[in-house]
Amino acid sequence: MTEIRWHSRAGQGAVTGAKGLGSVVATTGKQVQAYALYGSAKRGAAMNAYNRIDDEPITNQETKMFPDFVFVIDPALAFSDDITKNDKPDTQYIITTHLSKEDLIAQIPALQDKADRTYVVDCMQISLDTIGRAMPNTPILGAFMKISKMYELDFFLENMKKVLAKFPQKIIDANMDAITRAYNEVK
Amino acid sequence: MAKEFELNEVEVWDGNYAASQALRQAQIDVVAAYPITPSTPIVEGYGAYVANGYVDGEFVMVESEHGAMSGCVGAAAAGGRVATATSSQGFALMTEVLYQASGMRLPIVMTVVNRALASPLNVRGDHSDMYLGRDSGWIQIDAFNAQEAYDLALCAFRIGEHLDVRLPVMMHQDGFTTSHKAQNVYPLKDSIAYEFIGKYIPVDDMLDFSRPVTHGAQTEEDWHYEHKAKQHKALMDSRTVIDDVFADFKELTGREYKRVESYMMEDAEVALVLLGSSVETAVLAAKQLREEEGLKVGVVAPRCFRPFPYDLVRDALDVSSLKAVCCLDKSAPGGAMGALFNEVSAAAYSTKARPMMTNYVYGLGGRDFAVDEAKRIMKEQKAHADAGHITTDIQQFSGLRGPKLGFFKTRRD
Amino acid sequence: MSKGLEGNDNRGARELGAEEKVGWDEVTQGVVLHSFVGESKNAAFLKPEERVYNDFNSYTATVASWRIIKPIYNRDICIDCQNCWVWCPDTSIISRDKQMLGIDYDHCKGCGVCVEVCPTNPKSLLMFNEAADNDAELENWPVKEKKAK
Repeated sequence: MTEIRWHSRAGQGAVTGAKGLGSVVATTGKQVQAYALYGSAKRGAAMNAYNRIDDEPITNQETKMFPDFVFVIDPALAFSDDITKNDKPDTQYIITTHLSKEDLIAQIPALQDKADRTYVVDCMQISLDTIGRAMPNTPILGAFMKISKMYELDFFLENMKKVLAKFPQKIIDANMDAITRAYNEVK
Repeated sequence: MAKEFELNEVEVWDGNYAASQALRQAQIDVVAAYPITPSTPIVEGYGAYVANGYVDGEFVMVESEHGAMSGCVGAAAAGGRVATATSSQGFALMTEVLYQASGMRLPIVMTVVNRALASPLNVRGDHSDMYLGRDSGWIQIDAFNAQEAYDLALCAFRIGEHLDVRLPVMMHQDGFTTSHKAQNVYPLKDSIAYEFIGKYIPVDDMLDFSRPVTHGAQTEEDWHYEHKAKQHKALMDSRTVIDDVFADFKELTGREYKRVESYMMEDAEVALVLLGSSVETAVLAAKQLREEEGLKVGVVAPRCFRPFPYDLVRDALDVSSLKAVCCLDKSAPGGAMGALFNEVSAAAYSTKARPMMTNYVYGLGGRDFAVDEAKRIMKEQKAHADAGHITTDIQQFSGLRGPKLGFFKTRRD
Repeated sequence: MSKGLEGNDNRGARELGAEEKVGWDEVTQGVVLHSFVGESKNAAFLKPEERVYNDFNSYTATVASWRIIKPIYNRDICIDCQNCWVWCPDTSIISRDKQMLGIDYDHCKGCGVCVEVCPTNPKSLLMFNEAADNDAELENWPVKEKKAK
């Protein structure tokens, strides 16, 4: 079982991202869950989304999880959210920031001993450059593919195109660029 | 003619989307609805299908949930296949009309996304609204995950519209936990799903001008009782139709449903009885406890909340090894033992084993139900079994902050 | 009580509430009441006396016994204005092709609305004790009132 917790703000597309990842994973014969805790949250409020991925049907309906990966897709949440909650010794962190990894970790006490499993990528700048607005949900998945080695980049891009099929071609292309850049730029 | 909707063999859908796809495939004539969290996407989805030509039907906008169910009653009496969706406060506002729908024997299907009832105001899931419907004369079927929300919505039409039943059906799923959790769902092709449900056969429809009818007649003490008895008989007898529909569905899809689901009960010494998405968590906990500690735990889950499966609950609990059973109610009992506890205990009383029965209230307002908490409750049942009597209060509260809350002690030793 | 001008066999065949009380197994599903026995194609185009009403239709029940006073109708004065037909709360004015034929005494409760709305002088409908003899009262019908100057 692979478990992922997203730290996001309502409106940044974490639910769509979690469902998109789930859709890609489901095409490979695996079982997925994609859910969120938001309820009546307003746009901009901090929220969590979650993924569970397994080879067997997933019956755990408990909301809380002990994540294998934590995605922080809003730069400020790395500082204000409890991003290491229910941490495991091998939990890996992928954090959106304009800071270098060293500068970021220096400012976040909870990450001090986790430098070897913390990765940074500026999904905000990438999405502004490619999609044209701050939409960090798809680029973070590019970074995730690099770190987790879950799928080859090309395979993931092809399947994400199908997930995004309802959007105009221009948007799909921009998302592909964003995913590719994050894949290449994550450190 | 409605357009076919392209579906993959496996989709990643949440419970709301799964239910809305099932409603689309049923080709409903009329949906009258007033959207409410967390069931809004079901209605939203249906509206989109109508607007985009995937359904030949009418979407009726109304001024309230009372109006929504009234519109459904009118459309169903007129002779249409009718469905709607609601939750919580909307369900409460519909309640007056729910009794009309069942008394008038109109097979409306309502997908209910279970949510807490105010006050305090809360959008998250518990079973307050589902419990509110339990005397309304509707069939109530409970889905534990998104796949089941799809499958059982299809079955709901077959069950309710069966000429021996002709009763409205609620298809329940848990708010957020199921309604907003996307997972692998294996849908049927449109044509296969519609063939399974079948063409709607109207009965005593008001639009049949060759046989004019009066619907909604008034009866006083000279007739009312007989009509209610006939209605109750139909609801009780729907058990066999439900079994038959589930059997047909298994033949079509390989997915098996029973009026009472029971897991690992063959040799169980202790068991939990509960409803909804927590069933899956409890089964996971029971499997882990069997592996980790060799504790013989089983789980029983009434899939069909109404008609209450007294027969099959009794069968599931009539296990000679069974010593202690805990019934978990996800609804504030309002000055009583939990409803599930009361009903399951009544069924257990007529078994040979007559296990010790205890009650937990849990998960109110969407409070998370954890695997570890399920295990703790299971181990507590084992302690009752070992002691030979109930060692705690009979009614307790799971996951509650503050001093321990409980009521009533056993007099059996 | 007279059957009215064209009443058929089962109009007012029983007292309201005197229908057979059947058990739970015989009552209709969903408290549905069928208006007619079997199919009745084009029922809207048939006269009431041509339709085969069901035992549970109010047409086959009578409330004549509720009445203390009754209207009597005088064909000689009536101008067929249909006012009474429009106003009668119990559909008890029998009219065909806009010609007034008489009172449905099985369903009339004696409210007197028809008399109130009758515009002729003297009135074409007047209220009498239930026991009054229709023919005798028609013989003694009031004459036209002179307008006061």
